[in-house]
Amino acid sequence: MDVIFGLIPAMIIMGLVGVLIFFWAVKNGQYDDMEGPAHRILDDDDMPDKKNDADRLPK
Amino acid sequence: MGVALILRNGCLSKTKRFFALPSSAHTSCFHCGLPVSGGSACEAEINGKKRSFCCAGCMTVCQVIHESGLDDFYSRLNYQGAEAPPPETPLDLEQYDLPEVQAEFVRALEGGKKQAHLLVEGIHCAACVWLIEHGLNAMDGIEMAEVNLAHQRLNLRWDSSRVALSAIMLRLGRLGYAAAPFNPETAEGSLQRRNRSLLFRMAFAGFGVMNIMWISIALYAGAFSGIDSEVKQFFHWISFCIATPVLIYSGWPFFRAAALGLKQLRLTMDLPIAIGSLSTWSYSSWITFNASGEVYFDTVVTFLFVILIGRYLEGLSKRNASSAALRLMELQPRLATRLLATGEERISVRKLQVGDHVLVRPGEKLPADGLVISGASYIDESMLSGESRPLRKEAGANVVAGSMNVDGSLTVEVCSVGADTALARIVTLVEEAQGSKAKVQQIADRIVPWFVAATIGLAAITFIYWLRNDFDTALLAAVSVLIITCPCALGLATPMCIAVGVGAGAKRGVLVRHGQALEILSGITHVVFDKTGTLTEGRMRVAQVIPANTFDQVALISLAAAVEGQSRHPLATAITAALKGKQLTCVSFLSESGLGVSGMVDSRRVVIGNLRLMQRDGIAVPEQMQQEQSRIERQMGVAVLVAVDGALAGLIHLQDRVRDEAGALIQSLREQGIGITMLTGDSMAAAQALKETLGEMHVVAELLPEDKEAEIRRLQAGGEKVLMIGDGVNDAPALARADVSMAMGSGMDVSMACADIVLVSSDLSRVGFAIKLAQKTLSTIRQNIGISLAYNVILVPAAMAALVTPVFAAIAMPISSLLVIGNAILIRRRIG
Repeated sequence: MDVIFGLIPAMIIMGLVGVLIFFWAVKNGQYDDMEGPAHRILDDDDMPDKKNDADRLPK
Repeated sequence: MGVALILRNGCLSKTKRFFALPSSAHTSCFHCGLPVSGGSACEAEINGKKRSFCCAGCMTVCQVIHESGLDDFYSRLNYQGAEAPPPETPLDLEQYDLPEVQAEFVRALEGGKKQAHLLVEGIHCAACVWLIEHGLNAMDGIEMAEVNLAHQRLNLRWDSSRVALSAIMLRLGRLGYAAAPFNPETAEGSLQRRNRSLLFRMAFAGFGVMNIMWISIALYAGAFSGIDSEVKQFFHWISFCIATPVLIYSGWPFFRAAALGLKQLRLTMDLPIAIGSLSTWSYSSWITFNASGEVYFDTVVTFLFVILIGRYLEGLSKRNASSAALRLMELQPRLATRLLATGEERISVRKLQVGDHVLVRPGEKLPADGLVISGASYIDESMLSGESRPLRKEAGANVVAGSMNVDGSLTVEVCSVGADTALARIVTLVEEAQGSKAKVQQIADRIVPWFVAATIGLAAITFIYWLRNDFDTALLAAVSVLIITCPCALGLATPMCIAVGVGAGAKRGVLVRHGQALEILSGITHVVFDKTGTLTEGRMRVAQVIPANTFDQVALISLAAAVEGQSRHPLATAITAALKGKQLTCVSFLSESGLGVSGMVDSRRVVIGNLRLMQRDGIAVPEQMQQEQSRIERQMGVAVLVAVDGALAGLIHLQDRVRDEAGALIQSLREQGIGITMLTGDSMAAAQALKETLGEMHVVAELLPEDKEAEIRRLQAGGEKVLMIGDGVNDAPALARADVSMAMGSGMDVSMACADIVLVSSDLSRVGFAIKLAQKTLSTIRQNIGISLAYNVILVPAAMAALVTPVFAAIAMPISSLLVIGNAILIRRRIG
């Protein structure tokens, strides 16, 4: 049972780190917009970019 | 703009989505997805394909989007359509380029760069985010454009030397979004920040509870089945390590408030909380250091957690009282066109001086109080006077700042500016009324000092009594008394009920700004209604079409609407709105101020106007029609005569309609024995006509805004608890003065800012619901206080007799809290 003397403090410290990370995330505005970024990540720029197209043309 | 607006938008898009599916069988607008019908429909060729639109607004927006190469927007819409036509672009965008206007919401960065937040109306999905960000980032001078979808905000950074803010806002308008400046500091303010810090403290206490609980369970189990003293001591130390930071961080607000209260010699709820948690913690720490006995760290932590939940809920139910005065001043335009000998110039309204001549174009607001020098126009003063019809103003007439110029250009000599205008007088009234409103003490607050004194007294008596035996028993008994009386349940009783009540209200379209409003609302004895816009819909609508001889109603309306479609007069708008079929085209349109309009439709000559116009054109009006006309005018309606090809074709009856649900509401209020008064700025005859339809009530007519406020004060002096329901700027002082007030969601922003409760859907039947909700909430609060007091009455004597150990107290305490929470949640059922 001696193992609990090390494990319990370690777990509490891990939990504390989790809480601190959560506080940081809230203060940093990570939870301000719960909807927008979820869509934005799927938005690739499929607008035809003329310059790039010209580069890609076979010479 | 504000919370109410965002909510309204949210509701709108939901209902529209609901209806979007069945309507897709018809042609739907390419831009917004609404069915294409009526006179406003139009078509355009976009990207080589013919598209139909529900209105010109949608078409223009779509063309701009296409020209900017942003067609991808439509493929991102997921074929739902944009769900609503674009909002109108606000007028007078140049005002936002003035340094004094920008000072309110723009942050200047280095190198001439600026940053601001804009509240954007019309954002509803991810495609909008894409469109705005791509549409703006392509502009020269824009450094960053970032949309927050959840809050409908745009975070903007731009180079002011390369692009003006008005140009950016114009661009947004072209893309179909209306933007308004928005200052997060003033909008959210200190209340929100305090709530957020409370949330952190609550979260930290929650973390402590979760971890200390399983250690406590091990200790409880050990107490029954035996535990190694070394392990027990280790668990005590771990509990100490968790409880101490929680006590310091989460308990800090209570300690500070208790100390503040003591300094001012006031007994607050924070004092027993501070004493209870500190003494329990000290006792447990002493046990831990001496390595003998049981610890109660878990009690400290759980207790702080539960109390913080109560505090947080309380904070949430208090909405930010946004400054009504500030919103009132926003009704005034910021720019004016000053006439000089050399021409005209656009200047800030603040620079206007008495004696200046200003030009007011149609659709603009009056910048200052003044005297009309030349020109003639209809002026909409409904926000100030409550008069539902626009008034005709000619040279020599007085006009007031903030009213709307409807149809003609006016030259106005400025008579008073700034603080001397009628609008500013209303602002002062509102501020005074809000400042002098007696603060109503909440039930729990009245009990608290007694409760606190009793708790501390009993604990002290217990301690001194048992000290004769031994110190250990004395401390244990005294701590038990403190833990049991700890006002957990009492602290939760009110905020929990109010949070549930406010939530249940919001679900049915009753937004309660702060919990006290519910408490006062439950005891009102008199309801005061504003007439225009509250009991009535506040705008003219076609009530009846009476054709003469052979004409039929549909033909009459379509001919009249064709001509009136060219006019901007509000009566014309009402007639055009009554048209159901396609709008006919009208040529050689002529508007004669004060008489009426005329034009050629399908090569027939149509004349619309009053009796004077008919007589001048030699059109005979039969006796029966004249009788109809005077009957309508007695009811405060408007009768418009229509003649086709020189013969009278009929009469259109326009009236500001009484809201459908008004009759039932007044009936039920009367049955509950609540007094009813109607206040109006309109004439007595108009008020009497309404009284005839709605039944017995006290009527006071022809009132100025200050008279309305005085009327409320008179009622209050007679001992009445007054609920005021209104919608306009002219109601603002009365709303602020009344014990509790409600504003219609369709009304002015200002009235919503003054009111304690906002009826989102402007549905009057919600008034009855709100009163019922308030009564149920209050009775539940009383029950809850009863529950928590009963718990104390039973357990405190036992604790004083040293029969209860702190462990038992620690278990009993959460049970009483749960009872209170459960009872509060039942409010939702009780209101049915």
